[in-house]
Amino acid sequence: MNLSTLKNKNLQELNALLDIKDRDILTERFVSLGLPSKKSEEYRYFDVEKLLDIEYKTLTYVPKTLQVSEKIEIVDGVVVAGPQGMRIYNEPCGQIDMDHFDPLYYLGHLLSPQAIKIELDGDVEVEIEHKFTQSDTLINYRIVLYNQANRHATVYENFVSEDIENSLVLYGYDMHIAQDSTLRVVKMQNMEKNQYSMVASHRVNVSKNASAILKSFDLGGDKALQLLKVDLAERAHVDAGHLLYLNANSKRGTVSQIVHNGEHSTSKQEAKNILDGDARGIFDALIRVQPSAKFTKAEQNSKAILLHEQAYMAAKPQLEIYIDELEASHGATTGQLDRKQLFYLQSRGISYVEARKILVIAFANTLIETVKDTRHQERIKASFEKVFYSGHTNR
Amino acid sequence: MSIMKIENLQAKIGDKQILKGLNLELEPGKVHAIMGPNGAGKSTLSKALVGHYDIELLGGDITYKGESINEMEAEERALNGIFLSFQHPVEIPGVNNAYFLRTALNAKLKHEGKEELNAAEFLRLMKGHLEMLGMKSDMISRSLNEGFSGGEKKRNEILQMLILEPEVIILDEIDSGLDIDALRAVSEGINKMKDGKRSFLVITHYSRILDYIEPDYIHVLKDGKVIKTAGPELVPYLEEHGYDGIEEE
Repeated sequence: MNLSTLKNKNLQELNALLDIKDRDILTERFVSLGLPSKKSEEYRYFDVEKLLDIEYKTLTYVPKTLQVSEKIEIVDGVVVAGPQGMRIYNEPCGQIDMDHFDPLYYLGHLLSPQAIKIELDGDVEVEIEHKFTQSDTLINYRIVLYNQANRHATVYENFVSEDIENSLVLYGYDMHIAQDSTLRVVKMQNMEKNQYSMVASHRVNVSKNASAILKSFDLGGDKALQLLKVDLAERAHVDAGHLLYLNANSKRGTVSQIVHNGEHSTSKQEAKNILDGDARGIFDALIRVQPSAKFTKAEQNSKAILLHEQAYMAAKPQLEIYIDELEASHGATTGQLDRKQLFYLQSRGISYVEARKILVIAFANTLIETVKDTRHQERIKASFEKVFYSGHTNR
Repeated sequence: MSIMKIENLQAKIGDKQILKGLNLELEPGKVHAIMGPNGAGKSTLSKALVGHYDIELLGGDITYKGESINEMEAEERALNGIFLSFQHPVEIPGVNNAYFLRTALNAKLKHEGKEELNAAEFLRLMKGHLEMLGMKSDMISRSLNEGFSGGEKKRNEILQMLILEPEVIILDEIDSGLDIDALRAVSEGINKMKDGKRSFLVITHYSRILDYIEPDYIHVLKDGKVIKTAGPELVPYLEEHGYDGIEEE
């Protein structure tokens, strides 16, 4: 399949090309947004057209009997294992956001009529491992996450791949965070060697008095974009943190919309970006405060450190506000390492190269240390340091 | 024989020449105090001695143990035993204080061909120093200087000095912002380092710290030059008359 053939097609043509029926509402939404191109605002910095204009093999999705495992294992879009007793099943995604900004959110749903549904019961902590084994393949799947009211669940998300190349992964979550609950999602993704590219298009619906804590740690190279739409109900809260360490000629980042719908809803979004080599980091983030969302508090910040003269940060924090009764701030800075800090370390006998590394790791640690679980925090720190020490150019 | 010799040092910061032919010799085991009015070049001198990036040398020479260090990088100077206690220590969020101190110490030990310390050995080494300086034990687990009070930052500078055991110790206004208890603790740390071999260069505006550290020499710095060198008896004279009455020797 070549996804670029979907460009400028009408509803009937798309239904025929994708062999889909009875999903006209989704198809119409996709048609109205159009296949992403370099002119699409949300994909402006990502070169999505190159990824779409490739002939990929497609997979036939056959549900499998789940093996018992400590973690949920999803191999090439098919869930194959999960913890005993956890409710994991395949079913059409019932609650699709009809106001998502990303056309690939809708394409993902059209290509994946059966979603993987995971119900998080109680104060559970679970790891989801995504594994990719096929080269030159379009791997598409959707996951629906539910948690329970007044409960606090945590999901640790990891990605592994076999020795593959040139695949494209289109996946994403529809998260439904129940009233008075907390869902914490910690994503760690280290990519390298052009094994696969990824567009991850998520929708997070945060109910009244609930909290979403979304931390992403994107390391290494290659091309990946996460597109995040968060809807906040009354007194709902989202705390989103994104760490990006990129090397070589990678292009990765976050495009997001956080929509305050309910009164007294709060959002905090922080991006820390460290860019080496010819890498391009993306942080294109909008916070929208609807007329219904009086007394909102919204805070958004992006900081980028460029370690190489060819590195580039596309930072675009935005506020769209329709009321007066709120507190909101946003900002973005891009620069080099702090010369005073570098000198201070050097003045104690620490070499220039080592001092740079210490400062970069310190910059990253301020976000990594927001992961409360010490074991996972150490795991992320170790991964970061491994990628950083192997990929840093020392220039 | 001096441990450090500064001859006809001329240096500028940006477009402004600050040091205009400064001469000074630091003797082993002695405490040299530099006093002088604002803008005389005291902090510029301290920066020049440690190879700060702000400083551009225009002429003259700094020799340390008989060798010129004009071209030496800051970290090499540190590894060879030159230490500056900063007037305004920088805050570095995310860098654990203990990790930083151990990294610095192990860099020095490695440079000297000695075995590096593991975390447990290092913490044992730290414990006594912390008690002497009146530092709370949690200060070493916090980020380097982040959120420290002025006094805590200065104590942390002295802690680094105690651990790294340098041979030439430059204290740039170590007394500024210290209350009397902190001043005593810091002075005790400095006095502990006196071993008859190390040299101290104490840069200060005030004589108060010199009551605790007891200098051997007082150098008056004015308009980028040392204009007078005398014994500690000069301090009360300066207190009474200020710098205006001091003429270049």
